[in-house]
Amino acid sequence: MASTSGCSDTEVPPPDPAEARPGGDATTSIIPFPALDKVTPNLPDDERPQFYAGRALAHQPWIKAPTITDARDGLGPIYNARGCLACHIRGGKSRMPDDSETPLFGPLVRMSRVLADPQLMAAAANSHAGVIPDPVYGDQLQTQSIALLHQLRQASPVAIAEQQQVAPEAYAYVKWHEQAFVYPDGRQITLRKPELDLRYVAYGEFDAATRFSLRNAPPIHGMGLLELIPQADLEALADPDDADGDGISGRQNRVWDARSQRWQAGRFGHKANRSNMDMIVASAFANDIGISNPLFPFQPCTEQQPLCQKQRNGNNSQGLELPDNLLRLVTNFTRNLGVPTRRNVDNADVRKGRPFFYTSGCAACHQPGYTTAASSAQPHLGNQRIWPYTDLLLHDMGPELADGRPDFAASGSEWRTAPLWGTGLMGQVNGSKQYLHDGRASSIEEAILWHGGEALAARQRFTHLSAAERRYLIQFVESL
Amino acid sequence: MMKLTSLAAAIAVTSMLTACGGGSSSSSTDADDAQATAVINVANVSKVLETNADIALATYSDAVDTAIELQTALQTFRENPTEENFVAAKTAWLVAREPYGQTEVYRFRLSPIDSTDYSSEDGPEGDINAWPLGEALIDYVQTNDTDFGTDQVGVTANAAGINGGGALTAAGAEDQSNNIIGNTSIDISADLLANTATADDEHDVIAGYHAIEFLLWGQDLNNDGETTDGTDRDEAVKANTATNYAEGGDRPLSDLAEGYSETDTYDSSNLSNRRHKFMEMAVQKLIDDLTTVRDGWAEGASYRTAFTTISTEDEAKQKLAEILTGMGTLSEGELAGERMQIAFSSNSQEDEHSCFSDNTHRDIWLDAEGVSNSYYGEYAGYDSTLDGTDDATARAVSGYGIDDYLADAGLTELASDMEAALTTTQTAYVAIDTLARAGTPFDVQIIEATSSEPAYDAIKALNAQSSVIADVAEALEIDAEVIDGDATECNTEDPTAEC
Repeated sequence: MASTSGCSDTEVPPPDPAEARPGGDATTSIIPFPALDKVTPNLPDDERPQFYAGRALAHQPWIKAPTITDARDGLGPIYNARGCLACHIRGGKSRMPDDSETPLFGPLVRMSRVLADPQLMAAAANSHAGVIPDPVYGDQLQTQSIALLHQLRQASPVAIAEQQQVAPEAYAYVKWHEQAFVYPDGRQITLRKPELDLRYVAYGEFDAATRFSLRNAPPIHGMGLLELIPQADLEALADPDDADGDGISGRQNRVWDARSQRWQAGRFGHKANRSNMDMIVASAFANDIGISNPLFPFQPCTEQQPLCQKQRNGNNSQGLELPDNLLRLVTNFTRNLGVPTRRNVDNADVRKGRPFFYTSGCAACHQPGYTTAASSAQPHLGNQRIWPYTDLLLHDMGPELADGRPDFAASGSEWRTAPLWGTGLMGQVNGSKQYLHDGRASSIEEAILWHGGEALAARQRFTHLSAAERRYLIQFVESL
Repeated sequence: MMKLTSLAAAIAVTSMLTACGGGSSSSSTDADDAQATAVINVANVSKVLETNADIALATYSDAVDTAIELQTALQTFRENPTEENFVAAKTAWLVAREPYGQTEVYRFRLSPIDSTDYSSEDGPEGDINAWPLGEALIDYVQTNDTDFGTDQVGVTANAAGINGGGALTAAGAEDQSNNIIGNTSIDISADLLANTATADDEHDVIAGYHAIEFLLWGQDLNNDGETTDGTDRDEAVKANTATNYAEGGDRPLSDLAEGYSETDTYDSSNLSNRRHKFMEMAVQKLIDDLTTVRDGWAEGASYRTAFTTISTEDEAKQKLAEILTGMGTLSEGELAGERMQIAFSSNSQEDEHSCFSDNTHRDIWLDAEGVSNSYYGEYAGYDSTLDGTDDATARAVSGYGIDDYLADAGLTELASDMEAALTTTQTAYVAIDTLARAGTPFDVQIIEATSSEPAYDAIKALNAQSSVIADVAEALEIDAEVIDGDATECNTEDPTAEC
């Protein structure tokens, strides 16, 4: 059961010494360089070579077919990056450009059609894709391609398309719009909101009903532990109709799992549209890198992109670029990324901040602790007391954060609660402290101030704290 | 007396682990503090750092010099493209790898190879040693029907229907309009390589040692000069009966038979000229990049000064942690894992580091040798004749190594564990090298992927070695002290401030 059972989410449980090690025995030290792509220290020695083999596939660049390295070709034909860790930098986030002239790399754009007919939208939510893709561009914008002119950055996507070569779908940029936020005590802070700016769109018009969602690549540590949180614990936290009247609903997405060929609860992804590591890693291979695999056995081209479909692939004899055994290497690599140890647990300010985290209501969604289920496949990750600070549930976050784009059962204003473990290290991991799904917040404080919808009450409690109290709370979050 | 000190250290390590386990008590902290004074000797750490920096400077200097010799050999070959000069250029490439391989232990720590400012991960490593190479972007590669299916139009325009949809050959190269050599409208320049070298997603796969390697050797095809069809891995590589076995690719001299010189000027529409031009630009960039790295380690350079200047125990531990991180990460993650295990376990024997030249056995040896160089504080030079013996010893270093440090700290059991682990690794990589020199290159060695192969032993040994390296870090209490130093001193009054 969740750690908070027996008390309400605004009560303050006594500190547990185990909180210092958020991943239990899968907690990593952070020296000498903070990173989120480190092996869990308790991974058995004889499994470590497989971990690093998986890391090779996640790290080394995929290249365009044909090459001599059969296990590494098949990139694209259109794609977002050459390898997982190109965007999940050192296992952490991608970087959103601060200026409007640097094309997006790492963050990406998801898209799909939003129709007025509720029956069509319900059918989409109940389809294996979960969305109605744009007829030409699909449900993800691929901003790179294998065309030589693009590789050498010698021509824009439009010019490449005019030369009858397979072009990136577009280049994506963001424009930032600043707005002020004033605390009740008069202190002012500047917030910024991104506006997506697509240029050199190469395959014609988007459908009029297509909606876009800008996404920063999230960190990938500790996901094997999240996968082992007992389903009953999450179901117990869900309150879809807000039966307890606390203003917070929280529900599980319902998504298609191609591995088990069943509908499952969603746990991973910004909108919890993937059920487990197999699905999220496999879909990223197909859509982000253009590597077909057993769960997503296609190239990222639509039927309206025939040139893309005709490109040479890197398929093996089973018709896949990434066979199942190699896919499993990468999913197991991802499962076994350790969680960084807490910093400054005994710092006086951090200790002062901890109660405010609970009394402000943060813990209602950022549920602190769980005990992972026993696992025969990953025994070292089972039965661990972990502190991810998430309920992995969807919450309506209000109009300011909404992307207006449903995904399976998730609405256009719902987002999955992001885990907070390691969150204070993000700046050190890749030089960027961008928080929230689109990286708009450049600090924990800004992230809190964007919380709306179900989180509005918690935000208001935060803004009514004194400046010192707010600082303590933030320092607590940064220590997680 | 030694035994007692060692035991005390072991006890301290145990208490430290308990502290990490969340049960931190004042008594164990006191024990850590007391032991920290005993295991960290700042003056001795300084000696380790100086030797470590001396070896870095020597190996990178040798890497620069051998790259310049490669440049000379390529120029001679370009001006007089004979078979003899072709062989000499390939030999110069192989020699250039001998010192460079021993430098790889200086990676994974934001030293000049990985970082230009010693804080961000933007160093020239990718430009120098990018792998896997995107050879299809550079020049023609051979394909076959069964590999990809005849209904597929090739990724390069030249692959569409050339030679009946089959293999691309030099004869068909005039149609290879979508690679850099074949598209004669592309200017092969320093800008071209620089543009692609440092881009966001590591599409720097046209620069560095392996780009030159590909243009000198070409694809490493199987006995019939064909590519694999992806079904029978045994057929992916040359077998023992092949005459061209263990020599990597077979790029014909005709691909490079037309060079240019002061009298025969460069013709940008001539494919052979373009290949020479590509190598000319690539080797110059290689030399420039290596020179930058070398200069960061020179006496008085800001990186070296920062690396070797320590005054406190915490600083000493931080620097030791950097050395040990390089050694451990190269041993376990990079060499054993990303370079060997993936090839071994995924039955991907083509997936080797120096696949065009079949020189992967040397990559393994030299990476592993770099780790032991750091441990023993020794650099024996490099092998200029490729006979298996280091004979270019002008810059040899024999200094104060981690072995000396452990001995002086009384950690003799740990030292003997480390030496045993390094020796086991050496036995395995020598066996790989011996097999390769006798005609069984690394890709053939791992066809069966069994536990009786030296590659298996080497992977196991490298992982075991990394465990002992971690033990060294623990014995020196690097985990206990360095972790929290500057992790979260954030000024939350100003949330945009760095912390």
